[in-house]
Amino acid sequence: MANIMNSLYNMRLLDDLARQETVIHKLHPLMKLLTTVSYLTVVVSFGRYEIGGLLPLLLYPVIVFTLAELPVKPILLRILLVSPFIIGIGILNPFFDHQVYLLGGREISRGWITFLSILLKSGLTVTAALLLIATTGMDRLAGALRMLKIPRIFVLQLLLTYRYISVLMEEVARTLRAYSLRAPRQKGVHRSAWGSLAGQLILRTFDRAQRIYEAMCLRGFTGEYHTGGFKEIRVWDLSYFIGWVFFFAVARMYNIPMLIGSLITGVIR
Amino acid sequence: MHMADALISPLVGGTMWVATAGVAAYSIKKIQSEMDEKKIPLMGVMGAFIFASQMINFTIPATGSSGHIGGGLLLAILLGPYAGFLTIASVLTIQALFFADGGLLALGSNVFNMGFFSCFIAYPLIYKGFMGRGYTTKRIFFASILAAIIGLQMGAFGVVLETLFSGKTELPFGTFVLLMQPIHLAIGAVEGLVTAAVVTYIWNARPEILEGAASGRALSNVSIKKVAAGLIAITLITGVGLSWFASSNPDGLEWAMIKTAGTAELEAPDGLHQQLSDLQTKTAFLPDYSFKTPEDETELGAGEEEEAWPAISGGTSTSGIVGGGLTLALAVLVGVGISSLKRRKYGANS
Amino acid sequence: MSHHKLEVKDLHYSYPDGHKAVKGMSFCIHHGESVGIIGANGAGKSTLLMLLMGVLFPDQGEVCVGDVHVTKKTLPMIRQSLGMVFQDPDDQLFMNTVYDDVAFGPRNYKLDEKEVEKRVFNALELVGILHLKDRAPFKLSGGEKRAAAIASVLSMQPDILIMDEPTAALDPKSRRKVMQLLTSFKHTKVITSHDLDMIFEMCDRTIVIKNGEIAADGVTSEILVNAELMDDCGLEIPLSLQNCPVCGTEKV
Ligand SMILES: Nc1ncnc2c1ncn2[C@@H]1O[C@H](COP(=O)(O)OP(=O)(O)OP(=O)(O)O)[C@@H](O)[C@H]1O
Ligand SMILES: [Mg+2]
Repeated sequence: MANIMNSLYNMRLLDDLARQETVIHKLHPLMKLLTTVSYLTVVVSFGRYEIGGLLPLLLYPVIVFTLAELPVKPILLRILLVSPFIIGIGILNPFFDHQVYLLGGREISRGWITFLSILLKSGLTVTAALLLIATTGMDRLAGALRMLKIPRIFVLQLLLTYRYISVLMEEVARTLRAYSLRAPRQKGVHRSAWGSLAGQLILRTFDRAQRIYEAMCLRGFTGEYHTGGFKEIRVWDLSYFIGWVFFFAVARMYNIPMLIGSLITGVIR
Repeated sequence: MHMADALISPLVGGTMWVATAGVAAYSIKKIQSEMDEKKIPLMGVMGAFIFASQMINFTIPATGSSGHIGGGLLLAILLGPYAGFLTIASVLTIQALFFADGGLLALGSNVFNMGFFSCFIAYPLIYKGFMGRGYTTKRIFFASILAAIIGLQMGAFGVVLETLFSGKTELPFGTFVLLMQPIHLAIGAVEGLVTAAVVTYIWNARPEILEGAASGRALSNVSIKKVAAGLIAITLITGVGLSWFASSNPDGLEWAMIKTAGTAELEAPDGLHQQLSDLQTKTAFLPDYSFKTPEDETELGAGEEEEAWPAISGGTSTSGIVGGGLTLALAVLVGVGISSLKRRKYGANS
Repeated sequence: MSHHKLEVKDLHYSYPDGHKAVKGMSFCIHHGESVGIIGANGAGKSTLLMLLMGVLFPDQGEVCVGDVHVTKKTLPMIRQSLGMVFQDPDDQLFMNTVYDDVAFGPRNYKLDEKEVEKRVFNALELVGILHLKDRAPFKLSGGEKRAAAIASVLSMQPDILIMDEPTAALDPKSRRKVMQLLTSFKHTKVITSHDLDMIFEMCDRTIVIKNGEIAADGVTSEILVNAELMDDCGLEIPLSLQNCPVCGTEKV
């Protein structure tokens, strides 16, 4: 439970961060979304043995991080909590791939390389997603989704879910607190209360939805969701997007570290 | 069992995105044609509930451990399959954005694995099949458990297939299946038990909620067949289309899967001179690559999608390490540079 | 200005489970009046407000706003002149920023974005929370939420304000603020509350409801001091009118 409450605070932190006003925050949300998607696609398109080629792509999060003046620690913490699923699957690679390969005179199992590659990709993709939301925020992102012609119903529903997560989490937390105060030494909810505890919460949720629906209708809701006008895409927004895509493409096509490395070792030789 | 960005290839991710978008568009159309705008706030708030319900630990009898629910089947039962599917989609979207669970590229796969199977297979075919003759406690119990288990098994198998097709791990198919399916048998059983308890409670307290979800929605066999057929068609077309694109166009999405271009080429021994001439070739439009198949390729096993493993000589690996280190240093330098510049600017301003 | 008249004629309503919540109420509220509706828990106050707003429809009798009957057809028009503030502001603030929430109504009436902005700023300024316009609702205190909820209704420029327990769960200072805010509006006001001191201060007229029926309707200062009536309806004389418990000074 503490864990989930933590994620709630994390969500609020991201929400706070998104309300800053830096160069990155002021960029058009749609361009940021498209940049993020291109970045993710490029990162993920690298083969499973690739590590070196991925390194230049670190530049993107580093630059966005600093320009957006985001605090490194809380976001880094989130990134380090890589989904256990990834580690679980990745850690098996060394067991299944014993091909050995020489690196700087040392033998390394190829399985470890794939594992590292997965970890690196996971770090980069997770960072990119968090950076998007920490510099854009849910409401502006919803605007971008509308510009992409995602149906109103879905966008509105997404916003409502986001809005009510904190309300319902607090409600569930209160109920659980009440339960545990009268059921000491129980690790979870006892079987006999499964249905009534969760069921009552759901019934209350239904009633709340009914009241929200009434509140919406009283203010003219007829199933349509009207956003305000869209923000205009400036040349600067567009060049931000194009600039990054160009960089991603170059980083994808040329193994930049290898080029730099050969350049230097070549010169030395 | 969130599929993660790091484990998926653009091809698989893109195909699943298209499939999910297709199902979502169909669901939205269904909801709109029912003119049931009352459902919109309900979907929103129930999505939030599914989030919050992750806090509830249900003690599993006789094991001493506890679990919580995913909620796919429960949403389908309470809201109907279309609204249920869309609700799961928005829950997973928020998880991908804020909690980095899954990821944006893998979102399509995740929605499909956790939403499609429970809402459009397990719910209509199994749960509704049981309930066709009316609700009883016993029927709710068996229907929920069976539907939850089957939905989760299919979802888990989806994860296995998507991971394998993406080719980012070395896990053999058999091992992966043996790993995933039994775990999800247990998860499915818990999900089913909790769902059954909750549905029974609601059926006793407010039966009209369950009836409301079941009526006002024409889920005949015809429409489910149509959905399935359309979906398979879309998936096949995009899958085949994207693969064709990827294999015929060396600069396409799957460039990497076929050839690890940069490294293979850089292995040429002539050092700087060779590098520069390579650079020249590459700047030309669609240069004609000719790749040397590395000797150890044959040892890799038979998979066609197996990518080439660059035979790396001592020299290239050294430059790789040196270059990698420099790139990292450069990235750090850029970061430090920008922030110190910013700080100076603030210092001057204040 | 008969346009702002709110009239209820022989209203009856039963919930789907058969519970009769409103049994034959009739009254007429004129322009500029501020009316308190009081009654014990379950007396039918919230139900009455829902009927006024056309969220529920009566089984018998009718509600008229101005000269227009409240029916499904006239709802869009009616709802532009009636604004309702809910008991729980969390139900009313469903968007992710205060601004979007206050803009929700005007946008639904397809006003152009300039006009929407003007109305939002006006409404937020009126309730004094312009500085909170980009906040998320979960970041607001109870009093601020209430103010935002009121602003979200004011931005629709209603002629009649209907409020369900506007001071519930507020601390004394926030309660005072909301009261001052409400007193400053020239709108017709209908307020339900268990806060009888607030009703005493703010409403000239009071309607007492008991078991779905009107038990009394008249001048507040006469009704609230009627100990017998109040006791009969499950209520009490407001504290400010009771004899002082410390010094025993008689007030009535
Ligand atoms: N949805 C419902 N279905 C059935 N009966 C209901 C429903 N809502 C309210 N009632 C009943 O109608 C009666 C009037 O309820 P109402 O909510 O109007 O009371 P109220 O005067 O607002 O009470 P309170 O002061 O507690 O808010 C109560 O007896 C209640 O039990
Ligand atoms: Mg009430």
